[in-house]
Amino acid sequence: MRISTLTFTTNAQNSMQALETALANTQQQLSTGKRIQSAADDPAGMARVNQYNVELSASKQYSTNGDAATTNLQLEEQALSDASNVLQSARDLVVQANNSSLTAAQRQDIATQLQQQLQDLVSIANRTDSTGKYLFAGYADGTKPFAMSGASTTYNGSSSVRQLQISSNQSVSQGDAGDAVFMNIPAGNGTFTTAAAATNTGGASIDAGSIVNAGAWTADTYTISFTSPTQYTVTNSSGTPVASGSYADGDTISFNGAQVSLSGNPAAGDQFTISPAGKASAFSTLANLVTTLNSTTLNTGQLTSAINSGLAQIDQAIGQFSTISASVGARLNSITTTQSAGTTQQTDLTASISKITDVDYAAAVTQLSTEQIALQATQASYATISKLSLFNYLS
Amino acid sequence: MGDVFSTSVSGLLAFQRALTVTSNNVANVSTPGYSVEQTNFSEAWAQPTASGFIGNGVTVSSITRAYSEALANQVRNSQSSYAGANTFATQAALVDNMLSASGTGISDSLQSFVNALQTVANSPSTTAERQTLLSQAQALVNQLKSYDSQLSQYQSDVETQIGDNVDQINSIASSIATLNSQIAAAQTGTGQTPNSLLDQRDTLIDQLSQYVGVSTATQSDGEMNVYIGSGQALVVGGTAQKLATTPDPYNATRENVGLVNSGGTVDITSQITGGTLGGLIAVRSQVLDQAQNAIGQISVGLTTLVNQQQESGMDLTGALGQDMFSVGGVTAAAASTNSGSASLTVTRANLSGLTTDDYKLQMTGGSWQLIDSTTGQSVAMTGNGTSASPFQADGLSIVVSGTASNGDSFQIRPTAAATSGLSLLLTSPSQIAAASPVQAAASSSNSGTATISSPTVTDPTDPQLQSTTSIQFTSATTYSINGAGSYSYTSGSAISANGWSVNITGTPAAGDTFTVKSNAGGTGDNSNMLAMISALSSSSLNGGTTSLTGAATNLVSQVGVLTQQAQATASTQQTVNQDAVTARNNLSGVNLDEEAANLVRYQQAYQACAQMIQAANTMFNSLITAVRGG
Repeated sequence: MRISTLTFTTNAQNSMQALETALANTQQQLSTGKRIQSAADDPAGMARVNQYNVELSASKQYSTNGDAATTNLQLEEQALSDASNVLQSARDLVVQANNSSLTAAQRQDIATQLQQQLQDLVSIANRTDSTGKYLFAGYADGTKPFAMSGASTTYNGSSSVRQLQISSNQSVSQGDAGDAVFMNIPAGNGTFTTAAAATNTGGASIDAGSIVNAGAWTADTYTISFTSPTQYTVTNSSGTPVASGSYADGDTISFNGAQVSLSGNPAAGDQFTISPAGKASAFSTLANLVTTLNSTTLNTGQLTSAINSGLAQIDQAIGQFSTISASVGARLNSITTTQSAGTTQQTDLTASISKITDVDYAAAVTQLSTEQIALQATQASYATISKLSLFNYLS
Repeated sequence: MGDVFSTSVSGLLAFQRALTVTSNNVANVSTPGYSVEQTNFSEAWAQPTASGFIGNGVTVSSITRAYSEALANQVRNSQSSYAGANTFATQAALVDNMLSASGTGISDSLQSFVNALQTVANSPSTTAERQTLLSQAQALVNQLKSYDSQLSQYQSDVETQIGDNVDQINSIASSIATLNSQIAAAQTGTGQTPNSLLDQRDTLIDQLSQYVGVSTATQSDGEMNVYIGSGQALVVGGTAQKLATTPDPYNATRENVGLVNSGGTVDITSQITGGTLGGLIAVRSQVLDQAQNAIGQISVGLTTLVNQQQESGMDLTGALGQDMFSVGGVTAAAASTNSGSASLTVTRANLSGLTTDDYKLQMTGGSWQLIDSTTGQSVAMTGNGTSASPFQADGLSIVVSGTASNGDSFQIRPTAAATSGLSLLLTSPSQIAAASPVQAAASSSNSGTATISSPTVTDPTDPQLQSTTSIQFTSATTYSINGAGSYSYTSGSAISANGWSVNITGTPAAGDTFTVKSNAGGTGDNSNMLAMISALSSSSLNGGTTSLTGAATNLVSQVGVLTQQAQATASTQQTVNQDAVTARNNLSGVNLDEEAANLVRYQQAYQACAQMIQAANTMFNSLITAVRGG
């Protein structure tokens, strides 16, 4: 085959150019550590890397969201625990006051201490986070949620609370609305409230009662009327008797699945009412107890009945705080779990990105030396061949 | 004796010529386009005598060049393909590199914007977080606009290069025409081929093939006609046609390529293939236009989704939210050739229907036809084009006014100008509408178990939107709104009034009340921000199949694929071209060893002829001496 002299040069040049381009490429991969310099190097890989980067960034943001939620939830947990402690102290005071041997003055001293506990509770309910936003105001986090005016407390916050996204498909409430925590606590024993009538003249008192058979209970206002100190009738709101019997001190009266205990001796005509429980606020429970303890007109039976009812309501409030506290704890757990899953996901994503974009050093170094050898061989062979010419032998 | 002299002299002359040809070959060993020449000898006419025909020496019948039309065509075709693919790859790589920049891609910026929304959602009443969001929004706008203007810059570079290419092609074509005339004259005058002129012309056609794909046809007088595109004659004999840049009928700033003839300039842009010119034309529509449209689609998506949610929300001051971004409108350009009075008003009707394609609306036989310019397919439209019933197709709403003549057309580019018009409208951090304007609450005295969801704003313009509205259950299965009406209740179904919608689930008791009222003071509400985040991550584009970040990722990989394909084609065509050049060189190139051998051969033959003259001289001297010395 005839080969033109130019072909030797051109071929050598083409080969050397191609090898130099390959060398430059491999060298760039080695120096940057990246296999993919732009999408053209691996469009599908680059698309995945972009997607992973977005997911990675989102995952880190979810983790930040989790931190923000955690900060507020921990503040809330602390507030709930403090509120429980206040109520526990208040309960101890009330138990202390539930002693017929105390004088009115001693009870008033206790009432003064109880008033202090009430103020502490309001102050806890009005706590703010580090940025000065109220913890228990719901959406209206710039509005002081609880305002005390005399014995009554009003809620000025919002009933809705902020949700934070802690993963692509999971949100947690960043707190609880003040009305759900402090205001809407079931009254009495949770099902009904008990009270001694203001007109009672006997010394009998009623406890908070309980439900023994929920199926038999019908919500209604019932009245226990003593026709004599030892005989009673229970009537419902329409005046229909539902139970009656004889009474001795300390007896339990049962009707329609409910059970109440009375102690002391009633006078004929004394009445006790059992009403379906509504909602009471923790503040009004304490405020009512303060009023009760300060009272000089109540007889022993009425006083003890009111204290019994108040204690039951304090227990309801403590129960409510503990339920919400448990829910906060569950949310904190869920955040921790999600964040830890997020960290794993971030590690996996980073590894996947690295797998796609990072250069395989062993392979690249091998390639570099192969290309180097090929280039050297091309250069050497060209240098040798270019010296060959028949003209060298003509003289 | 005389015969020996003349025969030997014919040899001397012939080998002298042959040596000249050889030296010319050696001298041109490195000349590009030079075809090795060969001396063709033939016997001189033999003289008849009684003793037979006696030869009269040698003549040089012709000097021909080693040349193959087929090999030359292979070189040119592969050269055009390589130049086209290489130009495409080079231009596309600019876009590819711009979009691939790691950590600063559109998808990264979109996610940073979403992260800033999340940060506001974490603490909606904090100004610092809101300020960060505004900065992030501005950064996103800046990035999209910078990509868009970079693409426009590349467009204008391509326009300039198209103009340069046209000038080069014209200059080469006119040189080829001149050479054609010279070749025809030389060939007619001498009957011999003017090798150097032919080499020059071949070199010029090779050069031309770098700029544009060519085909050739040789005429009997040696002239060569050159065609480009789908057979448009560029050079016919001694005449070169002129190419000219001509403004695009829909866009005067865009250069198309036209062939100038007596009737005017004919637009042949779509016919041009191969060469740098073909590559430039292809990359302009396939990469630059497409990328600009795709970025525009993202800008439109961002603006639509964010603004929609802003309008449904309430800002920190308690006012209803305002638009966060503004975006450029639809480009609808009438063809410069339109003769009717029709004009178009085109708006975007729905986000998910929009595509990244361009369209042509054409009046054909009394009716309007919409054609997707990218796919070439006809697109069905509903409506009749009036403002009461606009044409609807692919997310566009088109209103035609005036009267069109048959053949009038408009180019519609739905998102091309969107990004250049993108801007951030909000100036104060408090204008970010993180909260919902309404909130819902259950009455604390409710005894049922039903719960109410957060309200969703369905019509932010409803004047009663923030009025306090109560939903009262008159029984477990019926409710009234603000004491009026009696509607039947199904758990979980939506209840709508005053521009909002809520869901009540569970079992309500008679007398239970739910209230929807103004969220004034709800500075801690982030529900609208969460709705915005959810809208931005939803599949809202391309018929509900693609999210904004998905579209950004698709753009990167589409440009990547186009660049990769062009690079692969360029690489293949480069090899094909190198092989074709080698094949042609092996035929037409000079081989020095061959020339050295020829040199020795012709030198020896020349010396032999000279020796023959010496011999004849000796013979003649012997004869003279014999006669004189007798």
